[in-house]
Amino acid sequence: MKIPFSWLKEQVALTSTPAQIAGNLVRLGHEVEGIEQPRAAVKGVVVGRISSKQPHPDADKLSLLKVDIGQAELLDIVCGASNMDTGDKIPVATIGTSLPNGLTIKKGKIRGEASCGMCCSETELGLSDESAGLLILPADAPVGLEIGDYLALEEAVFDLSITPNRGDCMNTRGIARDLAADARLPLLEVAPPVMEVDANVPLTKVAVTASTDCPAYLARRIEGVKLADSPAWMQTGLMLAGMRPINGIVDVLNYVMLYLGQPMHAFDADKIKGEIQVRAAEGGEQFKALDGRELKLNAGDLVVADQSGVIALAGIMGSADSGVSDGTVNIVLESAFFRPARVSETRRTYAMVSEASMRFERGVDPEMVLTGMQQASKIIAELFGGVVGEITVCGNVSEINAGKQMHCSVTRIEKRLGLALPEAVDDVLRDMGFGIIRLGDRLEVAIPPFRHDVSIPEDMSEEYARVIGFDAIPEILPALTTTAPAQPDRSIHDAVAGGFLQAVTYAFISEKEQRLFVSDDGNDIGLQNPISDAMSVMRRTPWAGLLNVAKHNLNRQQPGVAIAEQGRLYSKTAAGHDENNVLAWMMVGETEADQWYGNARVANFFDLKGAVEAWLAVRGLTARFIADDHIQGLQAGQSAKILVGRVEAGRLGKVDGDIAAAFDIDIPVFVADINLDVLPEGKKAKFAPLAEFPGVERDLVFLLEKSAFVRESNTDAIVQTVSKAGGKLLTDSRLFDLYEGKGVPEGKVSVGVRFTLQDPKRTLTQEDSDAASAAIIAAMDKRFGAVLRG
Amino acid sequence: MSEIDALKAQLESLQSEALSAFSAVADLAGLQQLRVQYLGKKGALTEVLKGVGKLAPEQRPVIGQFVNQTKSVLSQALDAAEAELSIHAKVARIEAERIDVSLPGRASAKGALHPVQRGLDEITAIFSQMGFAVAEGPEIENEFNNFDALNIPPEHPARAMHDTFFVNPIGDEPMLLRTHTSPVQIRAMKRFLAEEGEPPLAVVAPGRVYRCDYDVTHSPMFHQVEVFKVDRDVSMAHLKGVLKHFLSTYFEKDVSIRLRPHYFPFTEPSAEVDIGCVFCAGKGCRICKNSGWIEVLGSGMIHPNVLKSVGIDSEEFSGFAFGLGVERLVMLKQGIPDLRMFFENDVRFLRRMGS
Ligand SMILES: [Zn+2]
Repeated sequence: MKIPFSWLKEQVALTSTPAQIAGNLVRLGHEVEGIEQPRAAVKGVVVGRISSKQPHPDADKLSLLKVDIGQAELLDIVCGASNMDTGDKIPVATIGTSLPNGLTIKKGKIRGEASCGMCCSETELGLSDESAGLLILPADAPVGLEIGDYLALEEAVFDLSITPNRGDCMNTRGIARDLAADARLPLLEVAPPVMEVDANVPLTKVAVTASTDCPAYLARRIEGVKLADSPAWMQTGLMLAGMRPINGIVDVLNYVMLYLGQPMHAFDADKIKGEIQVRAAEGGEQFKALDGRELKLNAGDLVVADQSGVIALAGIMGSADSGVSDGTVNIVLESAFFRPARVSETRRTYAMVSEASMRFERGVDPEMVLTGMQQASKIIAELFGGVVGEITVCGNVSEINAGKQMHCSVTRIEKRLGLALPEAVDDVLRDMGFGIIRLGDRLEVAIPPFRHDVSIPEDMSEEYARVIGFDAIPEILPALTTTAPAQPDRSIHDAVAGGFLQAVTYAFISEKEQRLFVSDDGNDIGLQNPISDAMSVMRRTPWAGLLNVAKHNLNRQQPGVAIAEQGRLYSKTAAGHDENNVLAWMMVGETEADQWYGNARVANFFDLKGAVEAWLAVRGLTARFIADDHIQGLQAGQSAKILVGRVEAGRLGKVDGDIAAAFDIDIPVFVADINLDVLPEGKKAKFAPLAEFPGVERDLVFLLEKSAFVRESNTDAIVQTVSKAGGKLLTDSRLFDLYEGKGVPEGKVSVGVRFTLQDPKRTLTQEDSDAASAAIIAAMDKRFGAVLRG
Repeated sequence: MSEIDALKAQLESLQSEALSAFSAVADLAGLQQLRVQYLGKKGALTEVLKGVGKLAPEQRPVIGQFVNQTKSVLSQALDAAEAELSIHAKVARIEAERIDVSLPGRASAKGALHPVQRGLDEITAIFSQMGFAVAEGPEIENEFNNFDALNIPPEHPARAMHDTFFVNPIGDEPMLLRTHTSPVQIRAMKRFLAEEGEPPLAVVAPGRVYRCDYDVTHSPMFHQVEVFKVDRDVSMAHLKGVLKHFLSTYFEKDVSIRLRPHYFPFTEPSAEVDIGCVFCAGKGCRICKNSGWIEVLGSGMIHPNVLKSVGIDSEEFSGFAFGLGVERLVMLKQGIPDLRMFFENDVRFLRRMGS
């Protein structure tokens, strides 16, 4: 909301600078988003008189002017405009002036001729968006006067952000009241003007049936109005305050609303059929609003209607047909109090916001219902003529929000704020409308009807705090509460330690992306009001987001990307919904670039598997990777589920080529995830004595049928077989070589196994290792038909 | 020439021949060969000794002494030559093994935490150290916890300002993506009361929040940290003390703070919190719009209706609460100009901000 400084000064004799006022407003709780200073913006521009005009010798379109700005010497100015003549008064920007468009005037030469200033157009002065040539001033404009003073430009316009609790401050009067009280200055009294009314003007008939939602409704007929544009001073004021002039009547109502906070409406009296009713809408009733929208109303919406139907959605917007227009002669003015919650609900239902609804929703000052009506009638009659009729009054404004009392303890407020409440502050609050009586520690408070937001002692603590100023509250560090610090979740940190960059992607993805990895089982959680289709459903897979990260980076010449993300997956469950904490990895492209010591390496399944295994190892966990051809979105034959103990804790594999292609990726991408919510607790490291006696390490190389090797999957089974057959002395066994090709018969694969035997009590003998080898060879033959290689 | 003289002459010529051979040898292996050749069991000296048998017994010690002397001369000469050659060999080996130490080290994959994660970690740690317990809550919330329990009834204008994402119906209750971490206040207080009976409690609650707003300065998903404390006689002065400590610790300098009255339905009084501009030290710059102050978070004394909604007696207990935007604090601390960079996940950005 914008308020011109001059409006505030009409209400209270403020002497501070705009900057000081802004500081006070902020302290009082009114955020100042900006201060426009139209007058200061043209400081240095003065009224000048053209005493001679000659063509520029070297440029057709330029003129050489000699300009009198009230100094001893005339100024030489080279001017590009053509609409001026000798004797004209024009605005002259003097040397050193900075104009609103950022231009700073310097002494210079234009095409060889000296120029010591600039003659200005309205645009250059920031007064208009467009202009045709120089601003030619009236002949009586005093030469040498600052143009800002001559045009009486506004000194400052405050752009305020009024918090939703302060409906009383959505107008000049409310802000002036706070400033006056704070500065200990009197606030101008606003009494309803005494209006001469004409008994011949018929009373407007009004029936209010929804009196809870509309406790007060005033209507008045004004006849014979000669509708015209509002005067220039009013239009200028409205525009400074951020509103557009519409027509004379509407402008007056807006002007009064900006001053007093009371929104009003004017109907064309000749378009109203029969009595005005303020009632609840019937379900399905039609309403064509001023903004062109056609609504089907819900039962219970508060409306203003005549015999033919709804003529206004109460407190929000009038109808398209019943308002004041060019041919209007007779009007009915409406000024009312509508229940804030009612207006709020209707506004939300139809997403229909207006200057009126914003004020009614936050609560208007009941006292201004009549005052506003009187002020508006008076101005209308003065500007546009017309005969003013008697007011029809329904309800009693003086009962609205009236008589609210509360009492509280001074000490309690002081304790809450950490601040003493000096009695002098009571006077400031009294000027802000509160009735305050102190009886020792007891504070008796009468709450003014316009403060819909104050009802409990804590509210008064805020009133005291803002008047005293939050700066006065000391900074005290409270005694520490001691709690056992929780173990922070290190999941993503450990993944990062493994060489992955952490990504954070949106929790919502497109449904199309969801379907790539999760089938449609009805358990998606979609958004009712998504930003876009690309962000329309809560993710149930972490991989779509990671693939988008891969796409983004591969498109930017990154040779490879290794990314990890921790976040939640969301899905419906029988009991409601689940938010599942997941850690996910992705690797694509080069994991190592070309180096002097080696060639670039491209990520494969086992790079990512190693990363997941290392991550598990930090937690004291090991996993088995079980081939699984049916993981949606992953390529059969290169995908596995991750078993930790008996728990299926995650998945790993190569993204299906077509899916990768959907993300513009044409190289292998590997992804994995671990469900952190099901991951078992790992083994805690426990001390065991280190072996004293040397162990024996032996290698055995077998030939296997390749088909058996892959199908039986394999390494896990082989290592298991070796461990089991190796007996008690076997402490370690692993695959150290895998080979097919030259020297190995077609269809076979050579598998090298290395195992270690160790006894804590003695040195092992040849017999020990021979016995173990024999057992292993036998077991390998039995399980895989493996033959020891020569 | 007597036998003994002949032997002596033989020994002398052997010695001079050996010494010149020793000085001519080029490497340790050659030297070892010479040691065997002259002093070995079948070496030249042994050969000479064989001639001693022909001597008269009384002459033998004389020649024996002579032999020993020669042996010792040769042996010392060999040791000296060996020491010399060892040094040469070592120098040669060192030269041979010389490397270019300016070649790049072997690369190991370097990970990096996302800057938002680092921010969350830092912020949470500061409060943990002050005794605040860490709590979390669901991101898909009901309207009660996100609004009603926080003193934001349906008709409240503030409710509309939240730009709420609603999700399609789950069960009977309308659900939404939480618009702030404040519902964790409600959940944590209820849980705490069930477990402990009554305050004090102090909680820090980090998490993701959502607003239906997407432009240069708004992301539909971002991170907040909610901090609150409830106890007897908690005052606004404590709120300021905790804010001052937190913000100074986080920004690693003594920052000045300013509280401005504001309005939040769940606090009374409410205050926006500014810090003295960390870029211009309060002189005024582009970032602080020449005000010298930067708005960082919203705070206040917990509204009695909020305490009531979880069953805490607001006559006996009071509390403060504040919620801060993690991205905003990280942007200020790290000088990141654009909110959207956090969610683009450009690896160049992640690497740079992670080091
Ligand atoms: Zn600054």
